Amino acid sequence: MNKQIINQYFFSSFIIAAVVLLSAPLANTENYHVVSFILLFVVSILATFMGTGPVLLASTLSAIFWNFFFIPPHHTFQIDKTEDILIFGLFFIIALVNGVLTTRVRVQEKLVRDRERRTNALFQLTRELSKASGIEEVLKVAIGEIKSHFNLDSFFILQDGENILYDTGRLQKDKKLNSGEYHVAEWVFRHGKKAGAFTDQPFENDLTFYPLPGTKVIPGVVVVRLKEPFNEDQKSYWDTILVQISNALEREFLAEMAQRVRFLDESDRLYKTLFNSISHELRIPVATIMGASDSIINSSNPAGMQQALCNEIFTASLRLNRLIENLLNISRLESGHISARLDWYDMNDLVNKVADDLKDELKPFTLTAIIQEDMPLVKIDFGLMEQVLYNLLINSTQYAPPASEILMAVSYLDENMLIETADKGPGFPEQEIKRAFKKFFRVNENKTGGLGLGLSIVKGFVEAHGGTIHVENRIEGGARFIIRIPTEKPDIKNLQEAYYE
Amino acid sequence: MNENETILVIDDEKQIRRLLEITLSANEYKVILAVNGKDGLIDAATYHPSLIVLDLGLPDTDGQEILKKIREWYQKPVIILSVRDSEEDIIKALDNGANDYLTKPFRTGELLARIRAALRSGKNLSDTTELTIGSLTIDRTSHVARKNNEILKLTATEYSLLLLLAKNTGRVLTHQYILKEIWGYGYIHQTQYLRVFVAQLRKKIEDNPSKPTLLITESGIGYRFGE
Repeated sequence: MNKQIINQYFFSSFIIAAVVLLSAPLANTENYHVVSFILLFVVSILATFMGTGPVLLASTLSAIFWNFFFIPPHHTFQIDKTEDILIFGLFFIIALVNGVLTTRVRVQEKLVRDRERRTNALFQLTRELSKASGIEEVLKVAIGEIKSHFNLDSFFILQDGENILYDTGRLQKDKKLNSGEYHVAEWVFRHGKKAGAFTDQPFENDLTFYPLPGTKVIPGVVVVRLKEPFNEDQKSYWDTILVQISNALEREFLAEMAQRVRFLDESDRLYKTLFNSISHELRIPVATIMGASDSIINSSNPAGMQQALCNEIFTASLRLNRLIENLLNISRLESGHISARLDWYDMNDLVNKVADDLKDELKPFTLTAIIQEDMPLVKIDFGLMEQVLYNLLINSTQYAPPASEILMAVSYLDENMLIETADKGPGFPEQEIKRAFKKFFRVNENKTGGLGLGLSIVKGFVEAHGGTIHVENRIEGGARFIIRIPTEKPDIKNLQEAYYE
Repeated sequence: MNENETILVIDDEKQIRRLLEITLSANEYKVILAVNGKDGLIDAATYHPSLIVLDLGLPDTDGQEILKKIREWYQKPVIILSVRDSEEDIIKALDNGANDYLTKPFRTGELLARIRAALRSGKNLSDTTELTIGSLTIDRTSHVARKNNEILKLTATEYSLLLLLAKNTGRVLTHQYILKEIWGYGYIHQTQYLRVFVAQLRKKIEDNPSKPTLLITESGIGYRFGE
């Protein structure tokens, strides 16, 4: 900045000297007064684009040169005529006033321009802040603004919602506060006052800590390393942008809090549903086992009745076992511990296995299993797919009317295995079909029991194979599930040669 | 027939021990109960039971370790009875020398069937010249298998597979084990070969190939030959 001013001083001196030289022919004439007007004119021009100092210098030089070279007697500072003394005095004053006034106008104008620039910048900032979604984006905008406007690196420390400060280091990798600095930040956060370098709460190093002035909560603290204190203008702009940034942070902050509350509500609701249905689902079979076995122990029932009671106990224990299986499977799914261990399997084997596992439950129904004639081997996780088919079939047995047909069809098409199961039960109410795979969903809170986990396990296991499942109501009534699992065909060419030996 | 058969049950759960004691005694087996791995090893050495039922989750030592120690000298059948139902655990137990496994909860009827099958296979000396399983007979000298006295047309691989399974009646053989025995070490991951041959073999030996009763699939583990 100094260099520029010095240049201005040189420039104004040079111009005045040049004008004086050009006016030299007029030196010995009676028109030497004209020179004073020319010089005044030049000084006025200079005043429009130069600082006060150079203008003052120009006016002083003009007065001196005019006096020295043009006012008789020449080459002396002596002025003989009274009118010349007057003109010289006036000249000096006019040059001075003209110069100073013009500069002041220019300073005013600069201020107005600066203010406008700031207003614009602030407007920009407000817009960007309102567009930013999430704390990280707000911080990015804020840090960018502080960098571009003040040429300062800034560092934000925010609170976590329970008045604990945390580093936002994920945005500002190399900057970590040491424990002393952290304590200052804590102090600033608790008291809502700035501290550090250039404040009345100085601190051993050169950082300055400003609290972020939120309206309801203090979102945190911003830290900068100032080279010199802010001047009045900078300070007011700094305060203004801090308010804007705080507002944006506070907004994001409150949104995040609300989200957290919603999440807690949701998990609370889930917990209650789970708790209610599990306690119900556990109690019923346990009550059966307890009652039936007690009856066997304590009374001499006829043998036929004993047998019937034992059957009830056995059925109840199967139900309990299924419940535990489902709970374990859903928790495996939830914890993300499911990964399909793929190997080659014969779908005939899988379907037979499931039909065999469920032979008692399927007894009242007709199971029609159709497996494509030339069905290739497929790459699946046998255990997971066994559970998938098991859950689908057991669902059908719970909803379909006795003696009806339950269909299972397996085919291979375009690198995909298709499994379709269908029953003649009531199907899904149209408005609820979308929720079929949701946890704890049961059609009309059906009394057939179960936690409503079966289908969400089915979906989870199918997806673990990279497959999809789709449910629809059949036109003729009942539900139809269509599973599509991508699988290659095995390479068994060599095998045919080995076979015919 | 069961008079001489002694069964050692190693399980830390009192209710399971009591259930097994009642069930096995009712079926005229002599039952010895051990509550932990250490006692189990001592009892196995002392009584030399005909069969051991072993829980994997023991309080003092891991059941897999007990199984390895027992297998150092004990040739008779060991059946695993455990709540651990992951394929890894089961395959590991079978690799460690278990004949069979059942996961808790189990049906006692199923357990008794497995025990009977295992005891029978223990007597089926693997170097006899003729093996008989139900309606199947395998003549090892002439490499001929018959079903209901009719000769089965088998390829060499089908025959070796059938023989391997039949020699191990009542025992669960893992996919890897079968692949290794029939095709060799380089093939233990070529499960597709095994699937193809099992399907072919079933068509020849089963009365109804879609409801197999001889060559039974063990989900994700392997195959068992039995009944």
